Amino acid sequence: MDITFLTGPVTAGLISALLALIITLVDRMVNNYGMVKITINNGHKTVNVKGGSPLLFSLAEEGIFIPSACGGKGTCGTCKVKVQTDIGIHLPTEIPLLQKNEIEENIRLACQVKVKKDIEISIPEDLFAIQQFKTTIASIADVTHDIKEVYVKLMEPGTISFKAGQYAQLIIPPYGKIRETSQRAYSMLSAPADSGRLGFLIRLVPGGIATTYVHTILKEGDTLDVVAPVGEFMLHDSNDIMLCIAGGSGMAPLHSIIYDMVDKGKTNREVWFFFGARNLKELFYIDRFSELEKSWPGFHFIPALSEPLPDDNWKGETGLITEVLDRFLKTRISTEAPKEGYLCGSPGMIDACIRVLINHNIKEENIYFDKFA
Amino acid sequence: MKMTPGLLRVQDNMAPGRITGEGFLGDDNRALTDIIQADEETVAALGMDWEIISGKLQSLLDQGKHGLGNPVTIQKKWLITVHETRGHLPCPFGDGLYRKHTAEVEHLPTKTRFHFSELSLHLLKAHHFLQGRGSSFRLEPGLLKKVSEWTN
Repeated sequence: MDITFLTGPVTAGLISALLALIITLVDRMVNNYGMVKITINNGHKTVNVKGGSPLLFSLAEEGIFIPSACGGKGTCGTCKVKVQTDIGIHLPTEIPLLQKNEIEENIRLACQVKVKKDIEISIPEDLFAIQQFKTTIASIADVTHDIKEVYVKLMEPGTISFKAGQYAQLIIPPYGKIRETSQRAYSMLSAPADSGRLGFLIRLVPGGIATTYVHTILKEGDTLDVVAPVGEFMLHDSNDIMLCIAGGSGMAPLHSIIYDMVDKGKTNREVWFFFGARNLKELFYIDRFSELEKSWPGFHFIPALSEPLPDDNWKGETGLITEVLDRFLKTRISTEAPKEGYLCGSPGMIDACIRVLINHNIKEENIYFDKFA
Repeated sequence: MKMTPGLLRVQDNMAPGRITGEGFLGDDNRALTDIIQADEETVAALGMDWEIISGKLQSLLDQGKHGLGNPVTIQKKWLITVHETRGHLPCPFGDGLYRKHTAEVEHLPTKTRFHFSELSLHLLKAHHFLQGRGSSFRLEPGLLKKVSEWTN
């Protein structure tokens, strides 16, 4: 049988296979960085990792968790680390998320920088305390039509030490059209004394990967990995009047701070907690804070509705939370006594509240906030 | 319309997990250029102007921001909640970063609900891209026509 007609295709096939082999070998040689050493905080800790991966993930594999609100997608600008060795110029994906002085100090986004050779970095010491926990969902309950209260029971490790006001990153597995693991940050609702479990408030955001998962898929008994504790939003030790301001799921860290104060007997401070909602069905935890007012004379809970419904029969404060805050600062709260602001909510709400507080002579350095709501 | 290497990269950026978990194409298997061309033809047939409709959506977003994260009623006609989360999203076409602001909108008289983000507004205005079929952020031309009429 004459098979000369196969000569051409076979030859072409062999050439293609040879080229593919060469490309594979070259790729392995060029992109094989071997093991590289990451030296952290002047040798406080060193880790050896396989080269070529983003710094964020290389560190996470070694149990060092750099905070990241987007889970390494390069969109949140949270995972900043100071790199002390020359690893090349800043990438186009980093520059928009860094300040000019940060670029000058060689602050880099850990999710964008790939570890291709030995490098030295410095990170805040408290990041070494961040751990990954295996948890199971102890309860999920609706507190409003679009906010769920979620409690997770810590399984391994079984307890956590954190400061009230800090947050955790929930690791959301792939589901539906979502083909990759995602991470999203949520403030702890529970107080540190409740060390065997963590609570969160999660508001449904249209198209939100984590919030859709929590609201439509997650159920009691499911497992969920959590990275915690993270963040610097916490109570500052002073006797100043506390002005706590939140809306929606921004309730969480302030709830944690206030109940931590109760647990620790720090109820000598004067606290004004302003909580904004649109109408009565979007308010929650009113009863528990009303009870707290009875046992803590200096604690004042001021729920405010921006659009109360006639059926609400609302006798309380009305208006945007910024308007209510302004009214109270003018008429109800001591103008002389030093004050601190503790804010949690949307960035727009926080910016608007900061303007009100500054107008009432509260120093910007005494205003603490968490924009992770 | 031909898919240039540049547009192939853009379409790649729109895949799930690249910029957003869900991506921008939904379950639409058409080429990016075909999606845009089809929507341009529909928008033209409906007599709409891209600039005008993006301006109307921008106005809804801006008014919703006054709620400071809570729902706000506008002219007894619209209920708008603007959700803000930390960070930015890059445009898959590579021409800018956009804050993670999402407007959840309800037209109260008809109970019609839809949502869009600052990025989807930019995609509409600058690239005439309304996202693929099945994307949760797709803005159907028919819906945009109604929104345009309701905001007159």
